[in-house]
Amino acid sequence: MSDSATEPVLKAVNITKNFAAVKALRGVDLELHAGEVIGLIGDNGAGKSTLVKVLAGALLPDTGEIYVDGEPLVLHDPSIARATGVETVFQDLALIPTLDIAENVFLNRELRKERGVFSWLRFMDRSRMRAEVQAGFDRMKLKLPSTKTKVSALSGGQRQAVAIARAVLWGSHIVIMDEPSAALGVYQTEIVLSFVERLRDQGVAVIFISHNMPQVLRVSDRVVVMRLGQVVGDLPADGTTPSDLVGYMTGALGGSDATAEVAP
Amino acid sequence: MNWKLKVPTRGRGLFEWAQRNGLFFALVLLCLVFASANDRFLTRSNLTVILLQAAVIGIIAIPGAMLVLTGHVDLAVGSLMVMTSIIFGEFMARNVPLGVAIIGSLVVAALWGVVTGYSVAYIGMSPIIVTLGGLAGARGVAQLVSEGQTEYGFGDTFAKLGNGRILDTPVPVWILATAVAVGGIVWHGTRIGRHMTAVGSDSVSAESLGVRVRRIPFVLYVVSALAAGAGGLIITSQLDGSSLSIGRNVELEVLTAILLGGVSFTGGRGSLHGVVFGLLFIGVLSNGLILVHVSPFWKEIVIGAALFVAAAIDVVYQRLERIPIQDVEPEEAAA
Repeated sequence: MSDSATEPVLKAVNITKNFAAVKALRGVDLELHAGEVIGLIGDNGAGKSTLVKVLAGALLPDTGEIYVDGEPLVLHDPSIARATGVETVFQDLALIPTLDIAENVFLNRELRKERGVFSWLRFMDRSRMRAEVQAGFDRMKLKLPSTKTKVSALSGGQRQAVAIARAVLWGSHIVIMDEPSAALGVYQTEIVLSFVERLRDQGVAVIFISHNMPQVLRVSDRVVVMRLGQVVGDLPADGTTPSDLVGYMTGALGGSDATAEVAP
Repeated sequence: MNWKLKVPTRGRGLFEWAQRNGLFFALVLLCLVFASANDRFLTRSNLTVILLQAAVIGIIAIPGAMLVLTGHVDLAVGSLMVMTSIIFGEFMARNVPLGVAIIGSLVVAALWGVVTGYSVAYIGMSPIIVTLGGLAGARGVAQLVSEGQTEYGFGDTFAKLGNGRILDTPVPVWILATAVAVGGIVWHGTRIGRHMTAVGSDSVSAESLGVRVRRIPFVLYVVSALAAGAGGLIITSQLDGSSLSIGRNVELEVLTAILLGGVSFTGGRGSLHGVVFGLLFIGVLSNGLILVHVSPFWKEIVIGAALFVAAAIDVVYQRLERIPIQDVEPEEAAA
């Protein structure tokens, strides 16, 4: 559970983002604490994906500040966000089908041989990377096929597991998951949800984006509802019902001043 | 809480194995046939001839294969050979020092690669169209500059590039060996090879992970143009003349070696040793058919058939690789 007395690991202040005439984000504030899972919901076009891209560093906000562990962050490149410990599991997972599991986990962060002529030639240390991936999977009690298996041979749930495991193996303490269960069956979804719960137990802060209310309420400590580019509701998951969430999403609840206004 | 997930493995291993090694065994078989038919086939001098004839195609095919791996293609290499040769000849005819003529003509080729690479990688123009334009354009430049004249007589020093020998092995073969060694390190040793595969396999995902999806093909186009220029100079040295006949159909021979070697034309899959096997397969075939007095027309037929088989194996392999995701049921807008 969150402890509001501690410093938030991720804090976004007054984020705005316009696409031409469309105000995608209209002053969004968000706080995330260690070991906290927040559910981020909203109807299509509410600004969830834009917010995720801003937090992931894939999109530069027009105004507003982002703080990671209290440090202000200038994001204009996903690798900077990754370097500060914010990992995003995108909806499309960003896995390379013709590379194997270990190669995907270490893509663009390959380990190099540390000594000898091969180090001078900038050779990668394949065996060390495989061993670290396997050790990480073991630590997370995650049963996956051999790390030499090509991602194209994995099922949807397995791919999801690899993508999330990649985020966690990178020691990131903030993981953003964009609709991780959207394309999954019941069993695969269960894997992902229990994975999220495990991340929380390990003190990782998670933003979980989904359209599925029962799933959001199950894994989240807090649910943030977005509507028309603003946060219109910030509710504890306990005691909140799916119909409450729908009320906030559609504007029936929350008394929001947000009307279906498009910028002039 | 342990999860056991099923590992689907139906028959993929065999095809992966065939795709990776089939060409190697075809090559060995071919060598055995020719060796038993003619004693001269396996002599050192004949094998040297095979390598010498494969050298220029091989030097160009290494960066070319890396381009195909990233999902790109360079069709302009043959024309860049002749353009470099003609520009070199023009420099020499104006009594420019040899070193300056070599570097100057290679710089022109590299600049061509810079323009091609920038147009394709950064602006997003179609690789096939841009380099098809280069195929016509660079040869046109060569014809314009040469005005149909052939320059010749470049001296003994330059002749060593194509005809010289080190340790009884021709210089072009040494250049090919160096190119294979460097290419192997880059492709299979360093992270660059992995990133090339990622760009060719799924450039959107690769980019979201910070892989330099534009810089890699850009640099490869420049290296490809430089390799074509170097190949042009090697042939120029062998002929001791900068002829407009240089480099015809080279782009097709290069592409044949690459695709025969199992590099997927859609990108994302392939190996350097595969390309080397493809190169040797063509070289051994051309050489051996002459030794066993079979009409050289058969060479084209065999290469055509081999390409067909390679494409068939590739398709079967890709089908087996694609395992359907279970229960695809997007939960759109639950509200």
